[in-house]
Amino acid sequence: MRVKTLILSFVIIMNISNVFANDINKNEIFKNIRCLICQGQSVADSNSDFAQTIKLVVNDLIDDGKSENEIYNFLIEKYGEWIVYKPPFNSFTSILWIFPYLAFIIGGVLIFLLINKRENR
Amino acid sequence: MLSNIGNSILFFNLLLSLSIIYFAFQELKRNYNFINKKIYYISLIQSTLIIICFFTLIAGFLISDFSINAVYQNSHSLKPTFYKISGTWGNHEGSLLLWVIILTIFSFLFLVTNKNHSKKYRVYTLITQNILIIGFIFFILFNSNPFDVIIPTPNEGLGLNPILQDPALAIHPPLLYLGFVGSSIYFSAAIASLLTNYSGHNFARSIKNWVLISWSFQTIGILAGSIWAYYELGWGGFWFWDPVENASLLPWFAMTALIHSLIVLEKRKQLYFWVIILCLLTFTLSVVGTFLVRSGILNSVHTFANDPSRGIYILIFLSLMIFGSLSILFKRFKSNTYNFNYNSKETFILVNNWFMIFYLFTVFLGTIYPIVTEVFYSQKISVGPPFYNTVIIPIVILFLFFMSIGPKVRWIKDNIDNLKTTLMILLGSVLINLFIFLFFKSYSLLSNLILISSIFLIISTARDAINLLKNKEYNISRIIAHFSFGLLILFIGLNYNFSSEKDFNLKVGEVKKFENFSIKFKDLNLKEFKNYKAVIGTFEIDDFKDNTKLFLSPQIRIYDNPSTLTYEASIRSGLLKDFYITMSNIDRSDYYNIKFQKKPFMVWIWISVILISLSGFLRFFKYENKIN
Repeated sequence: MRVKTLILSFVIIMNISNVFANDINKNEIFKNIRCLICQGQSVADSNSDFAQTIKLVVNDLIDDGKSENEIYNFLIEKYGEWIVYKPPFNSFTSILWIFPYLAFIIGGVLIFLLINKRENR
Repeated sequence: MLSNIGNSILFFNLLLSLSIIYFAFQELKRNYNFINKKIYYISLIQSTLIIICFFTLIAGFLISDFSINAVYQNSHSLKPTFYKISGTWGNHEGSLLLWVIILTIFSFLFLVTNKNHSKKYRVYTLITQNILIIGFIFFILFNSNPFDVIIPTPNEGLGLNPILQDPALAIHPPLLYLGFVGSSIYFSAAIASLLTNYSGHNFARSIKNWVLISWSFQTIGILAGSIWAYYELGWGGFWFWDPVENASLLPWFAMTALIHSLIVLEKRKQLYFWVIILCLLTFTLSVVGTFLVRSGILNSVHTFANDPSRGIYILIFLSLMIFGSLSILFKRFKSNTYNFNYNSKETFILVNNWFMIFYLFTVFLGTIYPIVTEVFYSQKISVGPPFYNTVIIPIVILFLFFMSIGPKVRWIKDNIDNLKTTLMILLGSVLINLFIFLFFKSYSLLSNLILISSIFLIISTARDAINLLKNKEYNISRIIAHFSFGLLILFIGLNYNFSSEKDFNLKVGEVKKFENFSIKFKDLNLKEFKNYKAVIGTFEIDDFKDNTKLFLSPQIRIYDNPSTLTYEASIRSGLLKDFYITMSNIDRSDYYNIKFQKKPFMVWIWISVILISLSGFLRFFKYENKIN
């Protein structure tokens, strides 16, 4: 019982301290934006003029108090979905986002059935 | 001249493969239980010749024989000798030749090392493998021939892309190909096993070593590519979930699943068809990877349309392969009776396979999805690191816990009596994680969970190791592999959360101060090298926290042939952290753009992967000794 209380209190402490780790990370945003004129590079990793411009734009948007998602949406409207490395969830990308989890669940169910088959016998 | 030798050998090898297939079918009609010496000899000659053929191409590169197309396209007379040689396989045509070499040599080695197995099984493996060899030699001869002649002979070659002139990238393709193409032999063996109704136990024994060796090489090959990307591409990362990287990871997942389920087949004679499917899948994914990388379809559907012949050939080959193997599989498929208990080793191995297939499926979907949306919806999308991180990382946490508990469970049935120790280890992991973020820096919930679960795996495996050492009967490879996988995830987690970078502009003589660092741009020199000129900057870095001073000198290189600009990072690697600096010029200005990065535990990420790969080799040698 004591062990359980200990674990519980630690988990709570952890969660509290996590709240502080939630401010906007500029570099994280740059890493999620594709440099459109480069070969497979993000804006964070590129020195091209395009990357520099996008960095300035993003900095301005952050100063305007825009959230991470608002920044991505702004860029998508301007350059298309190609620019973000995390495709937004919509009718085109629903399969991409849902199928992995679906496969995971199906796999789990299959294994469960396989084990249960024996238990019933 | 050289090109004639190369072409004749390739053509001759095609005939040898056909003759092997012919004689092999003749053999099947005979009743004795050994394989005719003639077939051994032909297979040996075939292997020797293909090696000679490869050396012929290397010779072409060494003497810069620009009448040979591959040499003209990828070499230059002024290039250092080492990169002339590595240029042989640093291109599409040459690497295909390497592909055929591995197919051929593995075919021979499988023939001579499996003498205690049934004749029919060995003969069918040989036939299937030679069909694969024929397919690839055809591809080389009629589509991607490195020995194509250019008339008139050009005076100078076009040179090799400078970022490919690098030691890690010189060994990357051969290592990776030993994994990729090595998997062909258990593809062939699986087909043979289906055709001959070979016993699952014997089948598992005969391919086990091949799976281990290809898996180990695949692991180390991926690492070589990763290290190269880290220091050569100047971005300080080591994995970008780039489609080309994913192509090498897909067969790895299948192989890892296979290594685990093979144990069940060997020890408990179950999962036969599942193992067969994994064997077929691994090599199929290798060919799919080659198709994706070589056809150019990944970057854009349009590059594919410009030069479709390569891609279409591989696509046809792939379809025939899949269709052929699936039809044999369905013909021979029998539903088995399974006998699993929920708390047995078998079940946990199935759980491993469940996760591996999930990773495989997710990465596969993410890799091909942009092609799908572009073709069907003409919508261009990018699927990059944030997608994979979002989908995969939460599942990895669960995976690490299973990985810690699974190996302890006994075969057939076990009782839950270790619950208390498990909870203690969990508590310990939570505590260590607590210390890390209290004393250093806080991070997201997901990172917390990743760190806890990886520490949990490390401690659990270490504890297993201590227990098993007492028993004298232990599998050290499994312990090393699981332990280092825990380390790998832990260090990736720490590296991800504790990396820091600073981007700024400086000119010579200026100093930049931030956090606990001061960076001084000391001087700038121009140096001439054999095949490039370099602008070398010298930076003095003071770390006030550790009271250390170090000098780093990033370069901007100007290559002439082909004329390219590359940015060379300067890295100081240490046990605890790497310092990483790159510099690039800014147009019409004396200022240089400097990117300074602190990357903790990079060395440990490499070491973890080396250990993982080592565990495979270790198992291989141990198993080898057991047989003899």
